[in-house]
Amino acid sequence: MPKPLLARCRPDSIQEFRAAARRRFDDGLALASSGRGTGAIYVWGYTAEMILKAAYFTLLGLAEDHPLGWATDLRPAIERGRTLGIPWPRGGDGHNVRAWADLLVAERRLRGNPFAPVLARNVRRRGQRFESLWRETLRYRKNVAYHYEVRKVREAAEWFLVHAPVL
Amino acid sequence: MPRKKHGADEKTRPVGGNLTEQLAAELRGGREWGQPTIHEEEFPTGLIRATVIWDEWDHLSHEDRTAVILQAYERAEGAAYRDLVTLASGLTVPEAYGVGMLPYQVLPALRKGDPVTADDCRRAMVEMGASTLVAPDQPQLRFLLEEEAEAAVKELGRRLPGSEPVWHVHREVGRVEDWATA
Repeated sequence: MPKPLLARCRPDSIQEFRAAARRRFDDGLALASSGRGTGAIYVWGYTAEMILKAAYFTLLGLAEDHPLGWATDLRPAIERGRTLGIPWPRGGDGHNVRAWADLLVAERRLRGNPFAPVLARNVRRRGQRFESLWRETLRYRKNVAYHYEVRKVREAAEWFLVHAPVL
Repeated sequence: MPRKKHGADEKTRPVGGNLTEQLAAELRGGREWGQPTIHEEEFPTGLIRATVIWDEWDHLSHEDRTAVILQAYERAEGAAYRDLVTLASGLTVPEAYGVGMLPYQVLPALRKGDPVTADDCRRAMVEMGASTLVAPDQPQLRFLLEEEAEAAVKELGRRLPGSEPVWHVHREVGRVEDWATA
């Protein structure tokens, strides 16, 4: 008997995040092109989130297939961000795209390998864009996104996807 | 509006209690057995993940646990080493077990006529670092690696002479679905 979907999933890892980010972006395009703008925004948020997490754990030196756990990797990274003074609101901590973007920029700087100023500004700006347009709780909302909101989130998610190799 | 300037360097905020000093002492020259257990993983970049398994965390938030760990590293190893500890997390034994970090458990299987009592076993297990958070009278002695569990069995035999046959190592197995063929 074939394994059910969840049993076929591998643990979270850098390589899974990168691959899934691409899939969710494509899912978003399909949704947006059929008029499901809020659904598109919802999945594009995860594209940005996964690209940023993958970039952060790559920066630390974790192997591509190293399993990432909430208690051992993600939560400590969030606490790290708070230690560095990054505003990281409680509730949905792991999904805060703006905070992950800030953490990536700050950690690069602390490790003596800062982004070029323009790139750093772009990472933070795109991260900030998600702050007002995306939250993981969007799935519970009936609201319909405006076209310009769909466009802004698509552009930001695409930017993270395209720039993933240099983040 | 007041203007407040903050440095860009990482900050650790003071957390009360003497956990910091206790942990720093462990880092300086820890005991071979007992809590806390400090797992360090060094990444190819030289950065370090430190996971401290300790039931004393029970009353502290994760944020405070991280602060204690970083302060302890600073006291024991200096600021430069603390800066390398990028992912710091504190987990109680039940929490660590819950996230799959401690799959090996050392258990006593007492029979009539054994030279040790249940109380002897319980006491020895707690001294060796067993957790009593879930059930105070049923300490859980858990380990990440099979070698650690086997070494604990040897040590228990040394501490309680004649008890060697009493101890056995139990390994958690995955779910049936994990064994099914795709």
